[in-house]
Amino acid sequence: MGYVAVTAGEELIERAEELFEKQRTAGDGEDVAVEQIDEQLGRLTSQAMSEAGLYAPRLAALAVKQAQGDTVEAAFLLRAYRSTLERYDETEPIAPSEMVASRRVSPAFKDVPGGQILGPTKDYTQRLLDFDLLEGDAEDPTEEWDIEDAGDPEDLTNVMELLREEGLVAEPDEAGVEEPTDTTREPVTHPPERDAVLQELARGETGAVTALAYSALRGYGQVHPTLAEVRIGELPVRIEHPYTGDEVTVAHAEVSESEAVVPVYAKREDPQFAFGYGLTFGRNERKAIGMTILDASIQLDGEDEPAENPEFVLDTVDGMDSFGFIEHLKLPHYVTFQSILDRIRAIRERKGLNEDGRVSTEADDEDSERDSDDRTPAAEPPVAEVSDDD
Amino acid sequence: MTDERTADDPVASTDGGTTVPTDSVDAVLDSLDGDGLSGYNYAYLDEHTKREVRRATLKAVAVPGHQVPYASRPMPLARGWGTGGIQASLSLLGPDETFKVVDQGADESVNAANIRRLAENTADVETTTDTTEAGVVQTRHRIPEEVLTDEQILVLQVPITDPLRKVDSSDAANRRRHAHKNYGKMWVHLYENVVEWGEINIASRYPTMVAERYLMDPSPIPRWDVPKLDDAENLYVFAAGREARIYAVPPHTDVEPLAFEDREFTVERFPDAACHACGSTDTYLVEVSEESESPQTTREEGGGEAADSSFETRYACNDSSFCEKRREDSDIPKDHHLDREGVDWGPGTPDNEEASSGGAGE
Repeated sequence: MGYVAVTAGEELIERAEELFEKQRTAGDGEDVAVEQIDEQLGRLTSQAMSEAGLYAPRLAALAVKQAQGDTVEAAFLLRAYRSTLERYDETEPIAPSEMVASRRVSPAFKDVPGGQILGPTKDYTQRLLDFDLLEGDAEDPTEEWDIEDAGDPEDLTNVMELLREEGLVAEPDEAGVEEPTDTTREPVTHPPERDAVLQELARGETGAVTALAYSALRGYGQVHPTLAEVRIGELPVRIEHPYTGDEVTVAHAEVSESEAVVPVYAKREDPQFAFGYGLTFGRNERKAIGMTILDASIQLDGEDEPAENPEFVLDTVDGMDSFGFIEHLKLPHYVTFQSILDRIRAIRERKGLNEDGRVSTEADDEDSERDSDDRTPAAEPPVAEVSDDD
Repeated sequence: MTDERTADDPVASTDGGTTVPTDSVDAVLDSLDGDGLSGYNYAYLDEHTKREVRRATLKAVAVPGHQVPYASRPMPLARGWGTGGIQASLSLLGPDETFKVVDQGADESVNAANIRRLAENTADVETTTDTTEAGVVQTRHRIPEEVLTDEQILVLQVPITDPLRKVDSSDAANRRRHAHKNYGKMWVHLYENVVEWGEINIASRYPTMVAERYLMDPSPIPRWDVPKLDDAENLYVFAAGREARIYAVPPHTDVEPLAFEDREFTVERFPDAACHACGSTDTYLVEVSEESESPQTTREEGGGEAADSSFETRYACNDSSFCEKRREDSDIPKDHHLDREGVDWGPGTPDNEEASSGGAGE
């Protein structure tokens, strides 16, 4: 059995922290600069920012460095930091059509207003290790490009708008409240409003969002969407000027956005596509599409498929929650385990399976042993199933 | 939102308890030494959050056993490691408070030390390992052996808030059941337990009825500790960080574990066992497998393993700070610090002798 309590004090904790940091610094290579992570490992910082719900590339790079590349841990650092910050203001809502897109594909139509913009992507790159990178002398492969200035980018009409104008897509319900829910300030209760669902999905763990969305495609659900748009670009961040009352742009945030139609018709008399929407901080198309599928699935509000059950999705999709609870199993559990041992021993004794030679001296026990022998059927009954009825 | 606005908010003074004017908070902060976490607010959480947690706690006290949602903040500790408990504790602590943290009965556990360190660094509290000296005790899965008084608050860390989760994973359905006091499904579960195993096989997190109204998950305390919830002098606050719920058992509340007339609630049994260090037989013991060299073996354990006689099982008090006191004076009772005797405090205490030994013997 040999389970022994890990007991120690603060000194041990500090030592453990120091050993962890040593793992990062022990090698011969040079210390990675936060700038390098920010500039060169954008996918990592994007993931940390989107799961943290905090747009701060430099801080995300610091978090990634401190977490030694563990994105959930990095997102955790950012969230803990975020929760201590003063909220100065709330931004004005932004229409996604204002996005300055660096990439935009529409799998639904061959030609779309504004055109397809392939942009930077690995989608069609053959997955071959590039040994030239071993040398690490960075060159800009686009240096020789001959580019003419095309002027300011035009607003891209959303493909969904075209379909909506034609009445083919169900309109989302008007939000019941003026202020959007903020799940970092109000606990999620079930059934959740859609704005709470979208916020939780946007902060969801990338792997969890991907896996749950895949489950819907794989057959545990009805959603197999056609993507109307996948975009990456910068959105302006606007606030109301405190003195003039005008809207002013104070920053830009890079986001990935995805929108899809789903061939599920909600109303018999007026068949319309269902739809899904996804948006995450940074460059993370996989998560944005996954979120789109989950949003569409949750709107179907099914009970049977995991991805369609909002409780199931929201309860499992958060990286901070799953990470913490899974890893808490490393904590000592000897109080509860002693209690569990007591139960199994009592039940084994009752069934006359007391192998260790301990003979119960209490008359009560023998009574109950006989008692149970009389009543225990020869064949084990199946473990009772939990039914869904209320 | 700013501090000023909330301090002037007239609503705050009526439903948020005592209003703390901003001046006095500043004065308190100024009076503290600057060795806390610089750049962070007193007791880590901002004042709005602490007020929100306290309001949730007050609501929980007003509706004993009912789970009150609150906006659990991300803490610098992993969720599932006591983040609900520490939010409740930090909201209750002031600079004059004395704080104790126990993890599975031990003050010296690494996780307890980590939580204590956060409170020490940010809230500038005194810390203690002596249960009788603490104003607020944060605990993971134990209620101390020493009797708590009406001047103490026990904050229990909670992993799973709803006892009905065992029988239905849906929060929405379970909230409906609580609203209707519809606990039939749990009773059926217990009955099936008895049919299948001859007795109820729930080890910890024993479903418990509070004030004859709400079914409550008492957190994974052993069954041994459940009777201490009933008609206690002290306030119990249960706080879950990950699941963002707070609930409470106020002093002198009826708390009754679910059981049947012919299958009574039983606590853990330690037949013939005593703590190898202090000799106690009336405390919650845990067994430890050790390489056998000590002569003071209390009992051999486990047929197959005993044959491989390089290991032996010894029992030890789980509440390490009380065990230390018992080692110095093996006769001190669990109510030694009170001016009355024979206080009912779970198994092995006078007023409860009948119920607990009856239960333990079954």
